[in-house]
Amino acid sequence: MARAGGITNAVNVGIAVQADWENREFISNISLNVRRLFEFLIKFEATTKSKLASLNEKLDTLERRLELIEAQVSSASHNPPAFS
Amino acid sequence: MQHLQSEGPAAMTFDEASMERSKSFMKALLELKNLRPQLYSAAEYCEKSYLHNEQKQMVLDNLKDYAVRALVNAVDHLGTVAYKLTDLFEQQTVDASSVELKISCLNQHLQTCQAYTDKEGLKQQQLFTVIPRHHKHYVLPKLDTVNKKSQSNGQIRREAGQKDVQAKPFPLGTSASKTLSWHLASNSKATPEGDLYTSTTSVRDSTSSATASGVFYLPDEVATSSMPPSAARIEPSNRAADSGVALHALGITRRDAAENAKSLSQYRSFDNVGRREISRPPVRSKSMLSALFTKHKSAKIKLGHPA
Repeated sequence: MARAGGITNAVNVGIAVQADWENREFISNISLNVRRLFEFLIKFEATTKSKLASLNEKLDTLERRLELIEAQVSSASHNPPAFS
Repeated sequence: MQHLQSEGPAAMTFDEASMERSKSFMKALLELKNLRPQLYSAAEYCEKSYLHNEQKQMVLDNLKDYAVRALVNAVDHLGTVAYKLTDLFEQQTVDASSVELKISCLNQHLQTCQAYTDKEGLKQQQLFTVIPRHHKHYVLPKLDTVNKKSQSNGQIRREAGQKDVQAKPFPLGTSASKTLSWHLASNSKATPEGDLYTSTTSVRDSTSSATASGVFYLPDEVATSSMPPSAARIEPSNRAADSGVALHALGITRRDAAENAKSLSQYRSFDNVGRREISRPPVRSKSMLSALFTKHKSAKIKLGHPA
């Protein structure tokens, strides 16, 4: 009876250990995926930052060119005899 | 910007499409933001249920399932947000490129207008500019030293008492070069002016010793009647010692105009002989000048005339 109980106990421990191992594997999988998600987010942030910086620089250049054209047009409009 | 309107009333305009995109991005971002408290609340519930419930394996299994779904949901939300953000960024890049193109067109228009204005301004300025043009007789070199000497000799001759002869002295000086060069330039036409000039050279050759002054005197009668007006301006390259000598050399007397005419005709006929020889004045003008001046110098040396 004791042997049966011992064997049952051993089997339960084995099952528990196996379950534990499964849980650990599950946890490791989850953590691995979360890390991958984290790395993706970091990369995404870096690329988005660089793209936004380039877009910002482009917009600044366009703004300056537009200001220059505006100044030229205003000077031309103030000096109509030059175009007559 | 409004080009999509032409496709149909149901079609969205460019502005509306961009608004929709931005709205969906904001929505996805909000959902991702709301996912955090949901995951926190789900984790608390699972912890309490595992602690208080007797069927812990079932709770654990449910928890595992929920964790997987939550993770998938989070990944899905993140992907949606990333996609919408990238789409929005591309749209903004396209808008910036189109604006850059329009600005380049404006710049090109402006540069064209500027170039045209500059061109027109230069054209107007060129029309108003006065380009100086000089005639030959201003360009040829002056004969200052010779003219000064001849002028002084002419003055001396006047003082010697030449009152009877009302001659027309041709004043040598600054205008001498002009007339001489003018004659040289006009010699190519083979006018009587040139003939008379050549006649003076031929006569000079024969009577080089007699001529020593820089003033060539002619009586008025002869000058007005027989000789052409330009002949009176003839400038002798050699000097005459006396006006009478010069007149005598040319065969011109004071009283008889006909004799003067005859002499002139003889002079001309005499000239005609040598005329053929001298027929290309413009080409040899400078050499003639140099020849005349050298002869003048030789005459001066012979006579021992003071300068």
